[in-house]
Amino acid sequence: MFKKVLIANRGEIALRILRACRALGVESVVAYSEADRESLPVGLADEAICIGPAEAQRSYLSAPAVISAALVTGCDAIHPGYGFLSEDEGFAEVVAAHGLTFIGPPANVLERFASKAGTRQLLGAHGLPTIPGSEGMLRDDQHALAEAERIGYPVLVKPSAGGGGKGMRMVRTPRELESVLKVCRSEAKAAFGDDSLYLEKWLDENRHVEVQVAVDRYGHGVHLGERDCSVQRRHQKIIEESPTPALSPAARAELAEKAVRAVVAAGYENVGTLEFLVDTQGDYYFIEINCRIQVEHPVTEAVTGLDLVTMQMRIAAGEPLGITQADIDFDGHAIEFRINAEDASNDFRPGAGTVERYHAPGGPGVRMDSHLFTGYDVPPYYDSLLGKLIVWGPDRATAIARGRVALAELVVDGITTNVDIHQALLASETFLEGRMTTNLLDRVGSAAFLAAAARV
Amino acid sequence: MSEPSSRDTRLERDPAERAADHAAIDRLTDELLPALIAKLGATGLGELEVREGAWRVRLRRPGGPATRDRRSSDRAAERPTERAHSASSRPAHAVSHGTVRSDSRSVATSPAVGIYQPRKDLTAGARVRAGDRLGAVDMLGVAQEVVAPIDGVVGTSLVEAGDAVEYGQDLITIEFGVPTSTNGSGPS
Repeated sequence: MFKKVLIANRGEIALRILRACRALGVESVVAYSEADRESLPVGLADEAICIGPAEAQRSYLSAPAVISAALVTGCDAIHPGYGFLSEDEGFAEVVAAHGLTFIGPPANVLERFASKAGTRQLLGAHGLPTIPGSEGMLRDDQHALAEAERIGYPVLVKPSAGGGGKGMRMVRTPRELESVLKVCRSEAKAAFGDDSLYLEKWLDENRHVEVQVAVDRYGHGVHLGERDCSVQRRHQKIIEESPTPALSPAARAELAEKAVRAVVAAGYENVGTLEFLVDTQGDYYFIEINCRIQVEHPVTEAVTGLDLVTMQMRIAAGEPLGITQADIDFDGHAIEFRINAEDASNDFRPGAGTVERYHAPGGPGVRMDSHLFTGYDVPPYYDSLLGKLIVWGPDRATAIARGRVALAELVVDGITTNVDIHQALLASETFLEGRMTTNLLDRVGSAAFLAAAARV
Repeated sequence: MSEPSSRDTRLERDPAERAADHAAIDRLTDELLPALIAKLGATGLGELEVREGAWRVRLRRPGGPATRDRRSSDRAAERPTERAHSASSRPAHAVSHGTVRSDSRSVATSPAVGIYQPRKDLTAGARVRAGDRLGAVDMLGVAQEVVAPIDGVVGTSLVEAGDAVEYGQDLITIEFGVPTSTNGSGPS
């Protein structure tokens, strides 16, 4: 195991990693930007080091600053958390070149899974059904029209590089396709410096189901079940739960087993998540892999009783997994609510400001992972995640009931949060019956959910 | 160069108040400013600020604290941080290459996280201009320059050569004006 780990992230995940280090008896150093000097991870850290200004490009996203901080503080490993440098194979390579361990997949593994199209091909070859799409990149408009005809409308036009919805359009007719190609190209060019596009079959009503895997250096892998992340707005997850209400226990087991078999065969290493779209018939299609610890990992921790961050660290340190699939028990139902600094009644506009009063809910099956405290100034530079409320119950109904109580108890005064949209969702028939689909919130509008909840 | 503070500037102020403000502006432009300009010229300072009641006047020498002007875009982004720091009880770290700490001194701070090396010929008492190189911080083999935040005299070195330093850490004090013999330790 490592002696000392540099935590190269902020907010709740920095705190989560700090706790994991302590659980393992590993020393840690929190690397922070000037905007986070007064943050909770820095305050609780044994040691902290300022690596740059508020601007992420010069702090959390600066590979030289992060690596230099690890070297001058005598660390032997770097935990990148999620976002920032967590899936940057170039960073992982430089970390290794300086004699440090990157806590995540090794650089060569990250590189193998870096391209979305390439990964789909690779895992498709290892038995995973993939979403129908164009053969390679679109050469020109004629090629695009021919491929769309072959796949069948509606189709999603997607840029080869990047993410976050830029350069992405869903079209239902050849005419629409012709009219958006130019816009998508220029958007992709502007955002990622690469205007290559491809097509993907669009599933009107789909659910997002992802499988958590853990694979050690010696090719031994297990799955830790799945998470349903169908409650989204603009491709951002806001509620995640496990198990998924969309699939039968047999179908869930089959999906998870297929997923872990494919990634082990393809040479994956460390914890990772395979994302699938599930259509109304229960057919599933692999879309992408996330080579990092994910925001929603506590959902899996709640139903398996395992600690994914310490598991990730052990694997990176070269330890064998030490458990087999048979050792993993799935117990009960867990739901995570992402508490964001945003106003659901005002088009989800992000917020910043001072937390005038903070109170975290408690009780059986309730976990709050958050870096908030009373008096904390939420800086405007980073993402809007304030914390995660995770509830567990022996069944879904109990988890939902505990969720209602916990959301009502949570106090975050001074900042507008999305707690009311969570409460509205917990009052909606669609969610209660487990019928949420990924585009429902955007299509119906959060206002409709809020209004419906107000009538109840 | 002069700026009123965010004082009540509504048009419906009463005439007496308005007259008082005009009198204050007149006094500023006729008496105070010329005196301040003369003072700034005589001292070799880069910047001078005077407060009187609700008014504040700041004078900056052209090409004064050069590092600040060059990095104005960075500073705009960092301003809220700076404000948060001054409100906290912890010692504030500079956001640029230095901060003014008191009436008589300023501190050159680290531009990066890494290993600090002062300039070989740097000695206490040496006169420096704003923007002069005082040393460097080695960040993964790339030297990031440590520069004097203001015109002045090299004072105390707060870290040793070869020390690990963080971004924004205080490195060397710079005293305003003439060197004084009361300051003992110099940079090592």
